[in-house]
Amino acid sequence: MTFFGVILGLGLGTLLAIGDLYGGRVLSIIIKFYVEFFRGSPLIIQLFIFYYSIPNLLGILIDNHTVGLIVFTLNSAAYQKGYIKGAMESVFEDQMTAALSLGLSKAQSIRHVVLPQAMRVVIPAWSNEFASMAKSTAALLVIAVPELTSNLKAIASWTWRVLETYSFGALIYLIWISVVMKILDIIYNKVKIPEIEITA
Amino acid sequence: MDLSEKLILILSGLPTTLAISILSFLLGFIIGLPLAFVRTYTSKPFQILVDGYEKVLRSVPEIVTMLFLYFGVGGIPAFRFPFKNSFFVATFALGLRSGANQSQVFRSAIRGIGEEQMVAARSLGLSRLQAVFHVMIPQTFIIATPGLGSEYALLVKDSSYSFILGVIDMMRRADTVRKTSLDTVFPYIATALLYILLTFPLATYLDSWGSRKKKELGL
Repeated sequence: MTFFGVILGLGLGTLLAIGDLYGGRVLSIIIKFYVEFFRGSPLIIQLFIFYYSIPNLLGILIDNHTVGLIVFTLNSAAYQKGYIKGAMESVFEDQMTAALSLGLSKAQSIRHVVLPQAMRVVIPAWSNEFASMAKSTAALLVIAVPELTSNLKAIASWTWRVLETYSFGALIYLIWISVVMKILDIIYNKVKIPEIEITA
Repeated sequence: MDLSEKLILILSGLPTTLAISILSFLLGFIIGLPLAFVRTYTSKPFQILVDGYEKVLRSVPEIVTMLFLYFGVGGIPAFRFPFKNSFFVATFALGLRSGANQSQVFRSAIRGIGEEQMVAARSLGLSRLQAVFHVMIPQTFIIATPGLGSEYALLVKDSSYSFILGVIDMMRRADTVRKTSLDTVFPYIATALLYILLTFPLATYLDSWGSRKKKELGL
């Protein structure tokens, strides 16, 4: 769930960032509302809205795994849009002008010049986002998607070994988040562009 | 139940939401500020301890911390008070997490002020502790303001996790309204907007205030 959410969110977040930067006024206002909604309201409410409200309004059924995936993607995209936009705009303004003057179209210069570099610069911010997503999956508990935390809860109530169960669970989160962050850190150091850094 | 009744019922959870957010922010502050200075100015073993604290509290989901404290620690007879109180546990768990976050916010603020000021203060005859209190802390606050603003916003949102312990905050109220009125749309959308209203203006204001002050002081 974390991986898919973050990766789909990355795709959507990138599109949003491009839309916001180059897409004109109306689009950027819409995007602003979208981002404000997903960043400003609690994740649990977002889950409930997609679990209860939206299916009811549209008269369809969405199963809880899909709800989780949709919410995590949309939520993560809202955050990642900010990072990617920051990376694209703070560093690459001149390069965009240069690319355009070399005869590339706007889309080509975004695709071939700006994005590849932005993706490298954005890794540290991205790894924080990953950590917070990995943590937030615990909230899936409220719409009964089985994941680590809900399993912990079940184990704790079967075995009555509450302290041990939750400590062990905390350890699992700690280890796997640390490992992934370390890997991202290593990748970042391999591909980073000297002298260009943004602060997360 | 008409809309205004629903809204009033949801708003009756507001004080609890605010209480959890504000108290846990204060707790996080009390933990975070000293930790930041300990991490910057003391020796290796202390630094490792602080890093460990931050790492654990920042990686473990708030929900797991809450469940651990409420059912785990609260299950030990000697700790029934206060860990069997869901409001206390929610605030405490969020406060611990916020302490880890705020420590990082303050630390980067301290780094932003730079070593020179510390050296200058020391050369003027202030002791290390005096320099920290009179020179570093006041400036740290200004630089840290935007970071603290977003940490507060984060706490307002995360206070909704207390839902799983049965604390009756806005989130729980919204759920109650949904269950009793069978209206699945209004309660959640309205509550989401209320949360945005609680977080967005203040965080934006603190952010712009912080950047303005920073520019004024040339930090």
